[in-house]
Amino acid sequence: MFITFALITLLGALGMLLQKNVIMAGLCMVAAFFGVAGLFVLLANPVAAALQIIVYTGAILVLVLFVIMMLNSHEEEKAQAPHPIQRWASVVFVSALAFGAVKLVLGSSGVKSLAASGEAMPQAMTLQKLGFALFADHLLGFEVAGLLLLAAMIGAVALTKRNL
Amino acid sequence: MTGIDAILQGGLQGYLMVAFLLFALGLATVLLRRTLLLQFMGVELMLNAANVALLAFARFRGGDAQAMVFYLFIIAVAACEAAVGLALVIGLYRHRDTTDSDRAASLKQ
Repeated sequence: MFITFALITLLGALGMLLQKNVIMAGLCMVAAFFGVAGLFVLLANPVAAALQIIVYTGAILVLVLFVIMMLNSHEEEKAQAPHPIQRWASVVFVSALAFGAVKLVLGSSGVKSLAASGEAMPQAMTLQKLGFALFADHLLGFEVAGLLLLAAMIGAVALTKRNL
Repeated sequence: MTGIDAILQGGLQGYLMVAFLLFALGLATVLLRRTLLLQFMGVELMLNAANVALLAFARFRGGDAQAMVFYLFIIAVAACEAAVGLALVIGLYRHRDTTDSDRAASLKQ
């Protein structure tokens, strides 16, 4: 199961990186997000999986697809100037980063002991547990997050209005 | 479970590996593609990679509820970022008639 969802996630992300058409890239990203939601179910966290599907594939991606179709620029524009050096440098940089991270995880003894001590499946996360943690310990953060969402909404309206 | 077996069977190392590779793919998208919308999607992918690592650690620490709270805040910030970022892309398209980040290299009109 794990390897299936991991492959869906990574192949979706890879498709997004390589796809020429922006709409197809957006749909590949939907696949990646569904894969991540599946991984969350395997992590005994159905609440996070539901939120992932509702917020990311339901809200953010629909927003992205709306903007893609509104802008009417489905293909990547022709490059003004070739940037071969920057491109190769970025490829080398990213693969070195990924390789280093993978090596670090495999060699770390702390990760190994944590994986061994927590191998038993915990109780699944419920909305009740989340609600207690959220409203008992993080009430201020919750309110600030609401304010931040309001500010972002007003900012988005102000930025897209033609003459304010 | 150790080594390659832990990765394939879904041990902590496997989830961390998926998170790292997802982050690398998102970073590569931001660096290699020139369309602003795709670069934006790469940023979302990197945020998701962080979420996968966070919830994987939470599960192996016995289903910690604090991680879920952090996940909620990350999602809230990602939603704000999506709204404002897409508004900026639309604003750029109105002024320059392009969504190519290379063509938006100067602050002058």
